[in-house]
Order: sequence, then C-alpha cells, then structure tokens
Amino acid sequence: MTDSLARRSLRQEAVPEAIEAVHAELDAIWSDAPFVPEMDRMRFTTAVIEAATNVVQHAVPETARPVELGVEVTVTPAALTAGVSAYGAVKPGDVDGGAAMPGEEAESGRGLALIRALVTTVTFRREDGTNTWVLTQTPLEG
Amino acid sequence: MDLSYDVKDHYAEITATGRLNMVSAPKLREMVAEVVAGGSNRIVVNLQETSFMDSSGLGALIGCLKAARQAGGDLRIAQVQPQVQMVLGLTSMDKVLTSYPSAAEAFGND
Repeated sequence: MTDSLARRSLRQEAVPEAIEAVHAELDAIWSDAPFVPEMDRMRFTTAVIEAATNVVQHAVPETARPVELGVEVTVTPAALTAGVSAYGAVKPGDVDGGAAMPGEEAESGRGLALIRALVTTVTFRREDGTNTWVLTQTPLEG
Repeated sequence: MDLSYDVKDHYAEITATGRLNMVSAPKLREMVAEVVAGGSNRIVVNLQETSFMDSSGLGALIGCLKAARQAGGDLRIAQVQPQVQMVLGLTSMDKVLTSYPSAAEAFGND
C-alpha cells in the first residue's frame, strides 16, 4: 500500500508471552504515526490484543507443530488495520459466534463482542491452513 | 504486571501496576484468593497504575468480586484510567464495577 505510514509485524509461537510482544509492537508503532489520536490508539490496541489473545487461547494446531501467532499492523492517514493470524491452526468452529456480550456474572466470552464494539469492521478468512481476522478502524477521530 | 497488597484497618488494598491481560489475570486471581484466605473480605483493587485491561483481565476482576462476596465481603476498584474505563463501559460492567476516586473512599461509607 503506497500510502502506508507505519507498519509492524511479528510471528512467533502462540504462547501467552507472545501477547507482551504484540503490546510492544503496538506501543512502538505510534512513534511512526504520531498523528493518530489517543482514543483511536486505545480502541485499536485493545481490539488487536483481544484478537491475539483469542489465537493464543483457542487456536487448535492442525498437525504436531504448534500454532504460530502472526500480527501485521498498518497505519495509513485514513485507517488502522491489523491482520491477526493463526498459522497451522484448524478452521475455528464458530467464526461469527460470540458476538453478544455475556451476562455480568460471566468470567469469559466477551472478547469477540468487545472487538466488534471497538473497531469498525472485523472480517475472517481462511487460506492454506491459516486463519486471519482483519480488524479495521476508520475513519480516524480527532 | 506487578501486584502487591496491603492489609489496612477496614479493607485490603491490592495495587496492580502494568497490564492486566491473559498473562497477569491468573496472578490477580491468586492474590485475591490469598488475601481472602488471610481473613480480608473487603478488597480494593487500586488501578491507578494499570495502563491496560482486556477481557481476560476483566474476567479475573469479576471472578475476584465473586470470591470476595462469597467470603461475605465485596471487591471494589479505585482510580480507574481511561483505557480500563473504556473496557468497563463497552462491556456494561461499569455498573457492577464502579470506580472510586481513591482506595480509601471505596469503603468510605460502609
């Protein structure tokens, strides 16, 4: 994309520590894109961490090899985009499920509903044994 | 995330510094269980230095709230920062977990 102003990516084994690495990439990208308003950073960061956490917690390996988490973040003047991938994972059973916020007693199950509340669009695709959720936030506020 | 606690006269204060996510959420649950086992059932989680919370962290707070209530007490939160407030609002959990301006005020009227 020619008008990309900042881009970061990582790919590593989908273990809990990978979430901290995603945080570090997200924190770092704003120095290359200082114009992005604080509220947009907050919403987008939260959504990307939720999606990455879903991969770490729920992705099921297709073979004996562990699932890898991939995150690719792109900032343009008009949008924040993240592809959050599970490499080597089976197709998830319920791609569109979990869209409703569970009751207040629930201790889990808010991730997908929260992602949908945070960003403009969420799409899913499966290609060559890879599940990818694409989160887009547009237009930028401010 | 760094977690520590301090047992005061009328409540126990847990200070959570850093990110409350899937990595640190189990540690918060363990600390609340430890505090409750130690005889404190009125717990304030001070979130002044909690820069980030996701749904895993929120789930842990809800679990900790239940643990405190099962012990006959309550769990309250104080000094919530904007990102945490945003997550509480979008999940409608701000009605259940209301932020107090300070840890001391969380149980100030009880």
